[in-house]
Amino acid sequence: MTQETPTERAAPMIKFSNVNKNYGEYRALVDINAEVARGEVVVVCGPSGSGKSTLIRTVNRLEEIHSGTITFDGRSVHGKMSGSELNHLRSRVGFVFQSFNLFPHLSALENVTLSPVKVNGMKQELAREKAMMLLDRVGLSSKAKAYPAQLSGGQQQRVAIARALAMEPPAMLFDEPTSALDPEMVGEVLAVMRNLAAEGMTMMCVTHEMGFAREVADRVWFMDAGQILETAEPSTFFSAPQHARAQRFLSDLRH
Amino acid sequence: MQDFDLTAILLNPEFRGMLVGGLWMTFVVAIGSWCLAMSLAILLLVVRLLPGRVTEWVVSAYVAYHRNVPTLVQLMLWYFGISSLLPDDLQIFLTDNNGEAVFAIIALGLCQAAYFSEDLRSGLRAVATGQMEAARALGHGFVGTMRYVLMPQAVRNALPALINHSVSLFKNSSLAMAIGVAELTHAVKEVENQSFQTFETYLIATIAYLVCSLAIMAAGAALNRRVSISGAR
Amino acid sequence: MLWDLIDIIRDNWLLLLIGQYPNGPLGGFAATLILSTLSIALAFPISILIAFARLSKNPLLLWPSTILVYVARGVPLLMLILWVYFMVPLLIGANVPGFVTMLVTLVIYEGAFLSEVVRGGIVALGRGQMETARALGHSYFGAMLYVILPQALYNVMPSILSQFVSAIKETTLGYVINVPELTFAANQISNQLLTKPFQVFFILAIIYFLVCWTLTRLALTLERRIARKRAGMPGIPLSLNPQSQTAEL
Repeated sequence: MTQETPTERAAPMIKFSNVNKNYGEYRALVDINAEVARGEVVVVCGPSGSGKSTLIRTVNRLEEIHSGTITFDGRSVHGKMSGSELNHLRSRVGFVFQSFNLFPHLSALENVTLSPVKVNGMKQELAREKAMMLLDRVGLSSKAKAYPAQLSGGQQQRVAIARALAMEPPAMLFDEPTSALDPEMVGEVLAVMRNLAAEGMTMMCVTHEMGFAREVADRVWFMDAGQILETAEPSTFFSAPQHARAQRFLSDLRH
Repeated sequence: MQDFDLTAILLNPEFRGMLVGGLWMTFVVAIGSWCLAMSLAILLLVVRLLPGRVTEWVVSAYVAYHRNVPTLVQLMLWYFGISSLLPDDLQIFLTDNNGEAVFAIIALGLCQAAYFSEDLRSGLRAVATGQMEAARALGHGFVGTMRYVLMPQAVRNALPALINHSVSLFKNSSLAMAIGVAELTHAVKEVENQSFQTFETYLIATIAYLVCSLAIMAAGAALNRRVSISGAR
Repeated sequence: MLWDLIDIIRDNWLLLLIGQYPNGPLGGFAATLILSTLSIALAFPISILIAFARLSKNPLLLWPSTILVYVARGVPLLMLILWVYFMVPLLIGANVPGFVTMLVTLVIYEGAFLSEVVRGGIVALGRGQMETARALGHSYFGAMLYVILPQALYNVMPSILSQFVSAIKETTLGYVINVPELTFAANQISNQLLTKPFQVFFILAIIYFLVCWTLTRLALTLERRIARKRAGMPGIPLSLNPQSQTAEL
């Protein structure tokens, strides 16, 4: 990694400026202005349909926006760019899906080595070494040769995290990573995410896991109806939410 | 009816030669048309994925024609119809050089390509939608996504259908007899005419066809077991 | 070229439609239609019986039916036609017109393939329906008759229609044993005209295309309607299944 200048280090990893997105009449994202600083862990929460998933998917342009700008590590995400420029940008944004989306025809190890080799041009041997280290980091080195169908949901999601990490992204995005898991497997995935945060990874997570938010997040963004209504540190947010809808959301959660 | 006597056919070198020659021709026609059909099917799939409504329409029309017109009629249209439109020199050249087999391979290949391409298309559609997103999110381009993630799964999904249609292709080789190709069914009729041992001749040919078809099915099932994605949706 | 097509149709439409009737047996498109309709109609009840045999645990039923289906799947239709052409006169001691030979062959062939369709429909319903019916006190056959078959057969109607389209295409093989159906009629015309084979066979192809394509569209519409009616219930074909084991001729 190249040495960053003080100015670079101060610049936010992800920056949303006046971002708007509409589906016809329906406004999915409304005047979003927010930043994720380097090394920061941000949790985005809110009721269903609030636009949380849409927001996070605009960062690697899986969703388009209609106005405003989004920058990732200093580069604009939604400007005019060629196909290969977009691919290069995406390879630098780590993304973990709710439905894992592991490649079922490849083993766990092959899932992790495929993209570094074919997209980044890494040598196969080096990729294998790094992949085994990553699988070890998520606790699955014994399952390297297993196929996704032979893994539990929690194991698949951990492989998916290793797969995203293999591209050495400066930041990781998580779109409801534990929502599709049986309750007993949520813990193992959150543990991996907790370790990542402790190592200083910049993370933006859409999640319903409030315990995780309380322990790990540096800031919580509360969204409803396409807007970020409140941003606060977790301790403040969970004890004394300011916005009326945030209060209602939290009290609903407690039941 | 004469007594059942397989040896009259099997031990007679002339009859045996005709049947073996017929079987060989069946293989030539079947394998030739299979290769043509598979290559064309992949081409059709790629063309279909190109942007624009014209390409979609062209491929749909191709598939609709070849699936709704009977194979025998397609063979006749090629051999009797299109050949008559060719320049005379070419017609003479073809007649002297196994032209019937060539037309049979072309007609059968073009016909089965329609079925194979639909199988591949279904196989592609059956790949979970999240797969393309995951590949794109990792930075793969369109070609990379197709090559490493989508097509491997599409072919595995389509394998049972492709195997079934391959067996159909093999059986359809018998239609070539209607345009004079000396494949197995044609040979059977010849041997029957000369030997009068209808039952035995038919039995030998039927067993030959069955063994080959079952072999294709078994090989296909083995291949399917080896590469299939266990637990795939 | 277009004028050729129009002329040929205008001069020969009667031959194409009904063959040489009344100066010969009923032929042409009428023969094709009768042959395919009759063969499916007769094959249908037989196919249900074969499907039952395939689902049964009794080896006396299971083995012959399985062999029948595999033979139909593995042996070319043309070969089967030759067998029937040879065996039927032997079995009934009298000569049999080509039409009947063709009909018998198609009934056997279609019966085997339809039995796979019916069997698939029954299996796709799942065990729940049968278990419930038995729990209510129905016998196995009672359950089949009142609960399983009505649903299974309704669900696979599009596939049956699809098989009918295949039967229409299979009738063309009658040409090889001189059954006077549509393809035979077209060949007669081409042999008369001598210099316009492409035009004649093109017309032939178009006729089959129009008939089969329309029926296939009908089957697709039917399938959509069934899917809507039975949304959320087991056993619905998701698409006119290209993986089905229908014959393609």
